Amino acid sequence: MTQEAISIRSLNYSYPDGTKALEDVTIKVESGEKVVIIGPNGAGKTTLFLHLNGTIRSLEDNVNVFGKNIGRMATEERIKEVGIVFQDPDDQLFMPTIFDDVAFGPINMGLDEGEVERRVKKALATVGLLGYEDRVPHHMSYGQKKKAALASVLSMEPRILVLDEPTANLDPRSRVDFIRVINDLNKKEGITIVIAMHDVNALPELSDRVYVLNRRVVAEGSPRKIFSDISLLKENNLEAPEVFNLFKVLRCFGYNCDDLPLSMYEAVDVLTKTIEDGNGHIHLHIHEHTHEEVKKIMYSYNHH
Amino acid sequence: MEYPEIDRYASLKSPIHQFDPRAKIISFSILIFFVVFVNELDIAVINLFFSFILIFISKLPIKFVLNRIKWVLLFVLPFLIIMPFTAGGSELMTIDGIKMTYEGLVLGMLIVLRATSAVMLILTMLATMRFDTTIKALYMLNVPGLLIQMLMFTYRYIFVFLDEFLRMWRAMGSKGFKLKANMYALSMLGNVVGMLIVKSYERADRVYQSMISKGYTGNPKTMVKFNMVAKDYAIAFLLISIAILPYISKVVL
Ligand SMILES: Nc1ncnc2c1ncn2[C@@H]1O[C@H](COP(=O)(O)OP(=O)(O)OP(=O)(O)O)[C@@H](O)[C@H]1O
Ligand SMILES: [Mg+2]
Repeated sequence: MTQEAISIRSLNYSYPDGTKALEDVTIKVESGEKVVIIGPNGAGKTTLFLHLNGTIRSLEDNVNVFGKNIGRMATEERIKEVGIVFQDPDDQLFMPTIFDDVAFGPINMGLDEGEVERRVKKALATVGLLGYEDRVPHHMSYGQKKKAALASVLSMEPRILVLDEPTANLDPRSRVDFIRVINDLNKKEGITIVIAMHDVNALPELSDRVYVLNRRVVAEGSPRKIFSDISLLKENNLEAPEVFNLFKVLRCFGYNCDDLPLSMYEAVDVLTKTIEDGNGHIHLHIHEHTHEEVKKIMYSYNHH
Repeated sequence: MEYPEIDRYASLKSPIHQFDPRAKIISFSILIFFVVFVNELDIAVINLFFSFILIFISKLPIKFVLNRIKWVLLFVLPFLIIMPFTAGGSELMTIDGIKMTYEGLVLGMLIVLRATSAVMLILTMLATMRFDTTIKALYMLNVPGLLIQMLMFTYRYIFVFLDEFLRMWRAMGSKGFKLKANMYALSMLGNVVGMLIVKSYERADRVYQSMISKGYTGNPKTMVKFNMVAKDYAIAFLLISIAILPYISKVVL
């Protein structure tokens, strides 16, 4: 039986200055699922996340985590359920050393010293920062701080992990590391993952399901379904992954496949399969409409 | 960018570096107290000499020490000139009809000696341990939580703040802005300061949110492991005795 990890029903929120940030938002996340929320800048993603840790409390009984109203949960209970990693690591590493930061949550949970130390060690090992315990944040690179911020949330061992822009501003290597860590947490520890991001190329690896948010929920579905809807993408300042676009172009050159790949991994699988089916060859050609079709595709992805 | 780090040389090895942080704070505080309230010129000179010896023992680079002390000297040296002309007392000499007093001269010298020794002691105390250790030691010494948190956040965010300022400064520079003494430059500088205040206000908000999301309820708790050994008690006893000794000898003799 799958259990609902997060259930948000018709949530509305306006900031005190009158900015309407969320309108009638309904989102459901199953336990163990990986869900990505995409949407243009100012769509309300961060605002939505602030509801998940009790920073903003909904007056109605409509933000539930594992069936319980998050606004009414006790602090110690809440931080065991949901851990949120925000955008800017400097906002989350507020203690003098990395050890203190990663130990902050567990200490607040009232755990004993031995358990706190075990959790700090485990969290730092997970993100690959063992040995950085005594570092001060201003002596670390942005990517390292980002990892430390994740560790400072992992040490609370939450059942749901919420990440705001986890891959932004990371170098390619750190980005790959981060994606792997998140996927491992989901697969090995069964942690439910909710991510807000703009990085569409990383999205397919990180999501079972996608919500498109633009103040209201404008679409929901598998990554493939979302990225196939060109007008949806255009209306919400989004684009499809590069690999997906490339295969669309290949299709104009006569490449034949049913499901266009969304990521490099899928692309390799798809190519292998077509080549094997074609007796070791792949057939591409230019016919009279090819250039026109390619132009059309290029144009439809060009937002300028 | 060179950060104004007070604890840059905290990883050196010296008896003062290895001194237990709590014992260090207590004994240096007592030392500083006596140094500041000294009223005899001869003891003040001995104190200054003693502060020099402590810096020497701590192996802190002289350049680093001078760099920090020069600002204090700049501030207190004028007293050496002002005091003799303003304080009342027996006449030392008269320049252009203005009386210089012996008491004033002594007072001026006392002020300079006290301030220099005190600053050197504070520097020796703070520069020989990492600042986060200082904070934790204060925490262990039951200094009020509010004070600890203020220190902690100041220490953590001063660098973030500096970086933010530099980023804005460079962005302005790359758009051709030069700091000149005119109205325009001043108003631009005002804008930068204003932006920084707004930015740090917003940051404070976000930091608070992330503290809440980690279960913060008002008092941060940390785990500290300091270990006082016999050697620490001995050094503390020695330092405190040296502070009190001149007074005792005055009373006894
Ligand atoms: N503290 C605030 N006060 C007033 N309005 C705010 C505040 N924070 C955000 N907003 C507004 O609420 C809306 C949603 O902002 P939010 O930060 O949730 O967007 P986002 O989807 O996270 O954007 P991004 O992708 O740029 O991070 C925006 O119009 C924003 O200007
Ligand atoms: Mg955001």
